[in-house]
Amino acid sequence: MTRVRVTAPRRAATAAPGRLPYPREVPEDSDAGRIFIRSLIRSQLRLALVVACGFLVILAVIALFLVYGPGVAETRILGIPLDWLVLGAGIYPVIGVSAWLYNRAAARNEARYRDLVEDK
Amino acid sequence: MNPAVGLFAFLAVSLATAVIGFYGLRISRTTGDFYVASRTVPPWWNASAIGGEYLSAASFLGVAGLILLSGTDALWFPVGYTAGYLMLLLFVAAPLRRSGAYTIPDFTEARLDSKLVRRVTSLVVVAVGWLYIVPQLHGAALTIRITTGLPSWVGSTAVVLVVCLTVVAGGMRSITFVQAFQYWLKLTALAVPVVFVLLVLAGNGTAPQAPLPVNPSGQAAAGVYQHISLLVALLFGTLGLPHVLVRFYTNPDGQSARRTTLIVLGLLSVFYLFPTVSGAVGRIFAPELAQSGQADALVLLLPGKLIGGTAGDLLSALVVAGAFAAFLSTTSGLVVSLSGVISQDLFGGSVRGFRLAAVLAAVVPLGFAFMTDTLALAGSVGLVFAFTASTICPVLLLGIWWRGLTDAGAIAGMLTGALLCGGAMVAGTLMGPGNAPAWLAQPAAWSVPSAFAVTVIVSLATKSRVPASVNRVMSRLHVPERPVVTER
Repeated sequence: MTRVRVTAPRRAATAAPGRLPYPREVPEDSDAGRIFIRSLIRSQLRLALVVACGFLVILAVIALFLVYGPGVAETRILGIPLDWLVLGAGIYPVIGVSAWLYNRAAARNEARYRDLVEDK
Repeated sequence: MNPAVGLFAFLAVSLATAVIGFYGLRISRTTGDFYVASRTVPPWWNASAIGGEYLSAASFLGVAGLILLSGTDALWFPVGYTAGYLMLLLFVAAPLRRSGAYTIPDFTEARLDSKLVRRVTSLVVVAVGWLYIVPQLHGAALTIRITTGLPSWVGSTAVVLVVCLTVVAGGMRSITFVQAFQYWLKLTALAVPVVFVLLVLAGNGTAPQAPLPVNPSGQAAAGVYQHISLLVALLFGTLGLPHVLVRFYTNPDGQSARRTTLIVLGLLSVFYLFPTVSGAVGRIFAPELAQSGQADALVLLLPGKLIGGTAGDLLSALVVAGAFAAFLSTTSGLVVSLSGVISQDLFGGSVRGFRLAAVLAAVVPLGFAFMTDTLALAGSVGLVFAFTASTICPVLLLGIWWRGLTDAGAIAGMLTGALLCGGAMVAGTLMGPGNAPAWLAQPAAWSVPSAFAVTVIVSLATKSRVPASVNRVMSRLHVPERPVVTER
């Protein structure tokens, strides 16, 4: 038997504003529940920090390359100088891919947490 | 430019805004509708609306103007504006949505269980909102002056009037539709003229080999410090902007908040290609605008200058319409979030109070706009980002991820950030642009770390004040909403 999860429950959309479906199945005052939540928060924070630092490092490398890279000032692709091309268009896909990878990993962390809680 | 073109474009956009606003009126009935569109807005609508709200005068006019003035240095502005959303996605989007709060003061009050924190946050949010509306009104004043020859005050007053009418009539529900419409209008208004200009230039055979790295303004290149400070401000300022945050409450749950943010990143990336191209074309074909101090009007004047005739007039009308869409959408987004804050703290959160607060939120910055002068739009908005990054960002980030935050730490951090960054802004203005040293002109690199440090140190010193509810609130922020299990 496979389980199919459908996220984004319609129920939440029709609920009164300000009153969200509260995750009742984890009593955060039980020791096990608290540990699960702590580890979820820690893994989400670690993930966010890794993606943020990775992105900033890429940004710094690009900036340094544009300033100190050999021959960057003279390079043109289709007549457009390389630094204009990289800063004006090339960075955006990097941002998008970082965001996409993060979304997948964050959803995976949450799925792992749910499995833990439900199998308890 | 033919003055009728500008007037016609402004009236058309205002009318469209009002029509969509009134259409929304029929759907919004309860207080919940008024504040956050009852959280039933699908991710694409919501993402378009966020894009529409975020792309302000600074993005529509300012980025191209700054590229005209300072070339590749200015390309870091749109990169920072977009990457700010990445930070928002990583650290804030889903937890903030799960907090279930309407406004940032709601969030800090719930997290820290303190009325005083709420008041201080409200003050900061209102200050940020007002600071951010002023450059929008300056943009409107500039656009009206350049395109119709009418006095500047007409532009800013007209924007405030239209915004007040729309918000008072429909609240957030209609605002969501208006904002989504305005994103696509802005994109069209920039993209179509740019494509036409490029086609005309390609037809003349001038475009590809023209030398880009001319420097029409003779301005000195920005140093490493300015780049870093600017990026700190833009990366960490975005996640504290009140009008951006209020949008996340209209997502049904945390996961969809993340999905919405991803779409927003795509929409912003596409949008910023066009001001970049405009700025580059302007550097080659319209460098005289930089010398005459009209750089911010580049986007408005380019089609008339390079194409001319009826086609030029039509394209100009489109650009002017897009520019007004930018002023209207950002201003109305800010007015909605500010009136949410003001009405809950002053008028008890009723619909009538919301309307009163909306008028208050829009009229005060109009006064500021009359008293101050138009600076470079992208630069003055950059300063607002620095202020947000120094005040709201530390409290939000630490509140979401660190159990040790206390009410005393939050208040001390916000006040420190506000004093340091606000002080630098005032000092920089008094010295006049160009005279202030780099560290005063771009305070974010030292004011943001100081605010973080003070928040953490004071929180550690007042450990006993960590609220008893911290475990419950933290699990609410981070635990995923209960999935509907269809089959077992």
